[in-house]
Amino acid sequence: MAYAATADYVHVDDHPTGWRRWVLSTNHKDIGTMYILFGAFGALFGSVLSLLIRLQLAHPGGTLLAGEEFQIYNVVITAHGLLMIFFFVMPVLIGGFGNWFVPLMIGAPDMAFPRLNNISFWLLIPSLILLTLSIVVGSGAGTGWTFYPPLSSVGQPGAAVDFMLVSLHLAGASSILGAINFITTIFNMRAPGMTMHKVPLFVWGILITAFLLLLAVPVLAGAITMLLTDRGFGTTFFEPAGGGDPLLFQHLFWFFGHPEVYIMILPAFGVISQVISTFARKPVFGYLGMAYAMVSIGVIGFVVWAHHMFAVGLDVNVNAYFTAATLIIAVPTGIKIFSWIATMWGGSLTFETPMLYAIGFIILFVIGGVTGVTLANGGVDISLHDTYFVVAHFHYVLSMGALFGIFAGFYYWFPKMTGKMIPNWMGNIHFWITFIGVNVIFFPMHFLGLAGMPRRIPDYPDAFSAWNYVASIGAVMTFAGAIYFAFIVFYGFKWGKKAPANPWGEGATTLEWTLSSPPPFHTFETQPHIS
Amino acid sequence: MKEKRRSTLIILLSLAFGMLALTFASSALFRLFCEKTGHGGTTQVARKMPTRVENRMITVRFNADTQRDLPWEFKPLQKQITVKAGEVGLAYYHGKNKSSAHTVGMATYNVTPHKAGIYFNKVECFCFLEQHLEAGQETDFPVQFFIDPDIVKDPTMDDVDTITLSYTFFPLAKGTNLKW
Repeated sequence: MAYAATADYVHVDDHPTGWRRWVLSTNHKDIGTMYILFGAFGALFGSVLSLLIRLQLAHPGGTLLAGEEFQIYNVVITAHGLLMIFFFVMPVLIGGFGNWFVPLMIGAPDMAFPRLNNISFWLLIPSLILLTLSIVVGSGAGTGWTFYPPLSSVGQPGAAVDFMLVSLHLAGASSILGAINFITTIFNMRAPGMTMHKVPLFVWGILITAFLLLLAVPVLAGAITMLLTDRGFGTTFFEPAGGGDPLLFQHLFWFFGHPEVYIMILPAFGVISQVISTFARKPVFGYLGMAYAMVSIGVIGFVVWAHHMFAVGLDVNVNAYFTAATLIIAVPTGIKIFSWIATMWGGSLTFETPMLYAIGFIILFVIGGVTGVTLANGGVDISLHDTYFVVAHFHYVLSMGALFGIFAGFYYWFPKMTGKMIPNWMGNIHFWITFIGVNVIFFPMHFLGLAGMPRRIPDYPDAFSAWNYVASIGAVMTFAGAIYFAFIVFYGFKWGKKAPANPWGEGATTLEWTLSSPPPFHTFETQPHIS
Repeated sequence: MKEKRRSTLIILLSLAFGMLALTFASSALFRLFCEKTGHGGTTQVARKMPTRVENRMITVRFNADTQRDLPWEFKPLQKQITVKAGEVGLAYYHGKNKSSAHTVGMATYNVTPHKAGIYFNKVECFCFLEQHLEAGQETDFPVQFFIDPDIVKDPTMDDVDTITLSYTFFPLAKGTNLKW
């Protein structure tokens, strides 16, 4: 504002240079870019670990991760889960796409608290360092990503588990600060005429996600703190010997953990809505229904947590309640699925890469949703609890749901963020490799789970070997697809054609497409008015 | 604009800190919830003796477990007893310290089926206090209880003719100050 009086001073692209631009950044686009790069690193890290898991399980009697009586295997699955959730999906979908496009879509100049935004990002770096330490220090943190006591309290006394818990503390603080920033921005900084019932669905997705983070992550922080004091200072919150209850931890963890799965999928819902509307060249069918379906998913998401605990010996009436409440979530989710299909219905469809990923998302998310409805039944879950059926279910909704949402968003917004086009055919090949690959990994896991193969085991009876081998082939294929993806991105930067302001045509109606590609460092020079 | 942002910030921060405070309160709230509702088969502490006896026979079975870090032998002295609803029953457990050191234990407890917890009243129980056993010492632990005669009025309890009372002894960490 200090320069506004100097008429000839063009500050649109004025910014600090060198390391100052990034380390001291208060610019939502730069911070978004850093989040995406950080998430890409987390994704690579987590994917390598998942490849190790599948190699260990490719044949019965695997010895790859057998060290320290299979503790190495436990450490790898723990780190895989935490990396993918906290250092891949959340940074890219919320921190990356959210930072980049929430201000652009609502016509705001930046986030409400730009310096807080900087802190949110940079907290993740020490967090990731601590998580890495938890893998390598001592015999590592092998508690599973859910770190239930007593395994995580008295079962693994080494420093590794403490590193993991403090790492999650930092990641949680980062998320809470980010959530506050998003909510304040969306509530207070919309352009004139941009009412809450006009903001794009991606913004709605981020808004609801931010509320879930704000209410759920402090519960995780509290539970982690209690666990840390149980471990280090002799308190007995979760220790029956001192009057505590280990089940309390599970209640607290899943009170956070269930909203957490919606935290990962709601931004993806938002991305998919934008992409489908763009490539169907129609406004989203049932906009208000779509927005409030997300609101109700968020609200109901807070009262279903014990469906992760059907097997702990809850009263039958409690199980009945959590079964019914969980099944209700299928209603708003169904509204979303049918509205996406109705958006495509009669639309002028084209199948660019983002659209393929969006349609792939719908197919895979429905499969994951159907197995979710199966598992929601407390009686059925007694049999399927902690089997590979559950692994298949949550990878269909997250590993494929959230991942396909990320890829859809990445291909959709890559021209906007970089000013370069990725050739369609290259992206389409990547889609088919990934789509086939992930299905080859995870579909057989349904069979393994129904046949009774437990999760979190490093070895298995010969009877399970065939489908495990198939899944491992799928993992190698998907990983090859990921390497190819890295090449595509490199190709896009190096040889990609220059992107126009709006490469997707008349269906792309949100405000970011009114700006040049890439957009100027500071937007908007003239505040947009929405009629 | 700036004031609006600040007030939003304050509201959101208090929401986050409110959730954090609730989490720390949850430990006490969870215990209170279990005690008041009998959730998870939590038994009740009798405030007054029953005033009537119903003609409803209920078999109470006794179970005993010991956490492996506590070097005790702990078992019920009777497998089961049958009482009428409202009749006070007395049962004994036997404990023996197998080690050559003074040890302190504290028992956790519940009943199955869980829904019977709200009707299961303890008048006197060794589980209310921490138990000290010297090296090699043996002792009998009494538990005096009755089943609330109101159980006959609850149709959801019609199928309950057996209640299992279960204890698990845990070693008490040094310096732990228990308020159960």
